[in-house]
Amino acid sequence: MKKLGIIKNWVKEGSKILFLGCGNGEIIKSFKSSNKIKGFGIDIDENKVYEAISNGLSVIQGDINSDLTDYPKKSFDYVIAHDIIQVMTKPDVTIRQILELSDKIIISFPNFAYIKIRLGILFSGRMPKTKILPYEWYRSPNIHLFTIKDFKDFCKKEDIQIVDQNFTGFNKKYVSKLFFPNLFSEFAYFLLKK
Amino acid sequence: MEETIPKKLNDEGSAGIVETLYFTFAEPPEELVLSNGSKLGPVTIAYETYGALNHDKSNAILVFHALSGDAHAAGYNSPEDKKPGWWDIMIGPGKPFDTDKYFVICSNIIGGCKGSTGPSSINPATGKPYGLSFPIISIKDMIIPQKKLLDYLGIKTLFCITGGSVGGMLVLQWLVSYPDLSEGAMIIATSPNHTAQAIAFNSVGRYAIIKDPNWNNGDYYEGEKPDKGLSIARMIGHITYLSEESMRRKFGRKVIDGKLSLTDIADFTKEFEVENYLQYQGESFIKRFDANSYLYITKAIDDFDITEGFENLCDALKEIKAKCFVMSFTSDWLYPKEQSMKIVKALKINGIETTYTNFESPYGHDAFLIDDARLKRLFAGFLKSIKERI
Repeated sequence: MKKLGIIKNWVKEGSKILFLGCGNGEIIKSFKSSNKIKGFGIDIDENKVYEAISNGLSVIQGDINSDLTDYPKKSFDYVIAHDIIQVMTKPDVTIRQILELSDKIIISFPNFAYIKIRLGILFSGRMPKTKILPYEWYRSPNIHLFTIKDFKDFCKKEDIQIVDQNFTGFNKKYVSKLFFPNLFSEFAYFLLKK
Repeated sequence: MEETIPKKLNDEGSAGIVETLYFTFAEPPEELVLSNGSKLGPVTIAYETYGALNHDKSNAILVFHALSGDAHAAGYNSPEDKKPGWWDIMIGPGKPFDTDKYFVICSNIIGGCKGSTGPSSINPATGKPYGLSFPIISIKDMIIPQKKLLDYLGIKTLFCITGGSVGGMLVLQWLVSYPDLSEGAMIIATSPNHTAQAIAFNSVGRYAIIKDPNWNNGDYYEGEKPDKGLSIARMIGHITYLSEESMRRKFGRKVIDGKLSLTDIADFTKEFEVENYLQYQGESFIKRFDANSYLYITKAIDDFDITEGFENLCDALKEIKAKCFVMSFTSDWLYPKEQSMKIVKALKINGIETTYTNFESPYGHDAFLIDDARLKRLFAGFLKSIKERI
């Protein structure tokens, strides 16, 4: 279960935010109404972008893999990469790029070490399918799946500071940061800065 | 009387009967000084308005037309008109440029032949049409009379400016010349400057005109007109406004009357339906357009370069205060998406609020003139976002 509320709690009211892979802009709309932010989006899917623009949102049809370098440094208060980093061609490059765009970034992702996934592979011997990862292996846009531990290793290596973190799993319930989050959380949320 | 009124006029979405108005300024000795230093005056521009200006004059939208367009953007000039204005799909009550909410203005560019001062206008100094004595004008020059018109109408800032193709160049030029005079801007199917390919097509068109014996160095207003040259120019231009796909869908290899003319008399011009269509386009164009205007305007387009006088595109666009909506069309090969993306990139680098889409359409460069519900929703959505921003 993904909970936007966790991210909303981190975001200051009135901030200028870039949403990566904003889709039809529902996420921007939601933050606009809850946090009164100034929201901008980028998405590659033209039909979703039409919908977002038709709804009066500032969205650019573009490729996150190549277009992020166009923005000036520190041009946003936050960049939010919600459930999108695992889709990137080079997630490390994207993360480094968004760290340039704002002081604080938020990355949320499905944790591939979640116990249901582990057990799925163990008992079925097949690529796991869950509500959050529903795709057949040959259709999945999630080309770079990773775990919470992987991500923390990456942050350490890249000298990225974890300001706050939160986890959800087992239908909505928060998972304690202390009680094996890498095993029991389905989705992870990180507030980061360089 | 009822039956002579075009059906569409009775539609709720029509701007109704509109009158073309005229505004004259730059009376000598206070002529308009053009970018090449030459003077032009008096200058008249033809314009139309739709909807009503609100009390604080904050709801005006300025529409720029494309190469062969005119001030008549919406509604009908008379009940006998068969067709409405050129952007009637977008302008009218309940349409994206909703005339119940906005005051929409469209004026004919100078150099044109639809009521604004151009080469076919009478030169007051000689009492004869200007012809080639009309000064060379630029895209930059074309927006000055439009600004004067706004001053005359008492409008200080615009809610939005919009235009496709050359109209898009005029939008870009407006943003550079008057960066803080519009809340929003729609930059549609255009380019920061012409590619060699686009110049080449225009050049062949101009060549067709000046090689027409009737052209007579632009002095043809009292005799036969260079109709052949102008119609060929239009035929070439028209090909560039369509896409391979739209031509394939519309004509394919269909032949006129369904059979190839395998007679002993060769017909090199009328065999395929696409030939027929282009000739029709050429022939109808000569009835409504002046060959010299075609030369002057295409020249202005080819000479246009928004980066002129600046270090680069980013530098040129840096002062813009408007929220921008850049739009290209997937099948537009005259102004391909890369050119719009250059504009988007420069706007982003400057931190200007920007929206962009490469709209999926088979209709080529002219796609912005095609009635498409998705396109209308995008336009309406963008206008809504400007409102939220103010």
